[in-house]
Amino acid sequence: MSRPSPLSATPFLLLAGCSTDTAPSFSLAGAYFPDWMLCAMFGVASAVGLRVIFVVTKIDSILRFRLFTYSALGVIVALSIWLIWFGP
Amino acid sequence: MKRVHLSSGKPIGIGIAVLCIAAATLLGMHVAHEDNAHPSSDSGVIDAEVVHIATTVGGRLVELPVHVNQHVHKGDLLYRLDPEPYELTVRQAEANLALARAEVENQKRLVAVKTANSVVAQDQTTRAQTNRDLAARTVERLSPLASHAYIPWQQYDQARVALHDAEVSLRQANQQSAAAQIAIGDLKSSLAAEAANQAALDHARYELRQTVVVAPTDGYVASLQVLSGEILAPSQVLFTLIADDAWFAIANIREVNLSVIRPGDCATVYSMIDRNASIRGHVESIGWGVLSADTAGIARALPIVPREMDWVHVAQRFPVRVKLDHADPALLRLGATATVEIRHGAACR
Repeated sequence: MSRPSPLSATPFLLLAGCSTDTAPSFSLAGAYFPDWMLCAMFGVASAVGLRVIFVVTKIDSILRFRLFTYSALGVIVALSIWLIWFGP
Repeated sequence: MKRVHLSSGKPIGIGIAVLCIAAATLLGMHVAHEDNAHPSSDSGVIDAEVVHIATTVGGRLVELPVHVNQHVHKGDLLYRLDPEPYELTVRQAEANLALARAEVENQKRLVAVKTANSVVAQDQTTRAQTNRDLAARTVERLSPLASHAYIPWQQYDQARVALHDAEVSLRQANQQSAAAQIAIGDLKSSLAAEAANQAALDHARYELRQTVVVAPTDGYVASLQVLSGEILAPSQVLFTLIADDAWFAIANIREVNLSVIRPGDCATVYSMIDRNASIRGHVESIGWGVLSADTAGIARALPIVPREMDWVHVAQRFPVRVKLDHADPALLRLGATATVEIRHGAACR
């Protein structure tokens, strides 16, 4: 894997102050779940939410390849949350 | 039904789709790189060193001032065995040593007596030599007189017999002197017996001291389930002492991420007892070996190689030992689940 250019990290450095000071592992009914599982759920939820918003605001009608677009948007949200909350 | 045209219209929609997919891909690569450069594990454990408390002697437990989960300091009394059998052994060894010392004195007197006897035997030799010389001179003087018959032949014969007697006496005296010299002997055997008894006494005293067990380090008493009155065999473990002067977190890290970890690297550790409290630590060492199922086998037998055709191999993990710098003692319990972030996390910023 090639190293991404330094510029790609710049927007996230601005958000470094939002990092949590808690363990990246959640306790639920006596079991520990990893942080990325929460991020993935946020990603799915945001993809569905964006779809609803875009349909209401009629933005949806100008989109093409909607499955890929919404999936990519969900992935972007999930990875961004991971970087902001739990990233190094 | 509305027809969908894939190749015509809404070019802005295609642009947005391409942009979103490209951004997601780039972001995914960036996150993957960041994740590889900053290894972490959420299946670590809090670890500490332990001492299995036992003593080299056995006996009845007569005093047990500690109780389970108590904190003790180095040098505190942990338990005491009945010292009476060991005190009796010490007294017996003391008596044996006194006996051996008396034997040394006895042997010294015996040597003095034998030395005096040897001097007497030496003097007897001198006397026998003088007598033999006199007898020899007498025979020498009488020999010409007897040959000219100036004296009776009988007298000359008596002188020769006397010389022979004196020679026999001298030989005997010499032999007796040599025997007396050899018989003097020395103190070696009694001194060796004394040394052996001294060592036996020292050993008995050592065993007596072992009936008192003190804490070898600061720590917590764990898995203590008996009361005083219990009979303990030599070397039987009574309980475990968890040393609390140094605490560690053991994180199993995949081998592909080990190359970025160096001893001394900063680490953030969370004990899941309180997942909001970060603990600062540093990597102390990385395990040099784990037992692999592929190489496990019976010693001295042939290697066990299963027949298989597998294309996907799961990465081996190695334990990375992180030493915790300072932490609230309430967070530290041996075996607690820990989340370990190496070279990042709240404590390393």
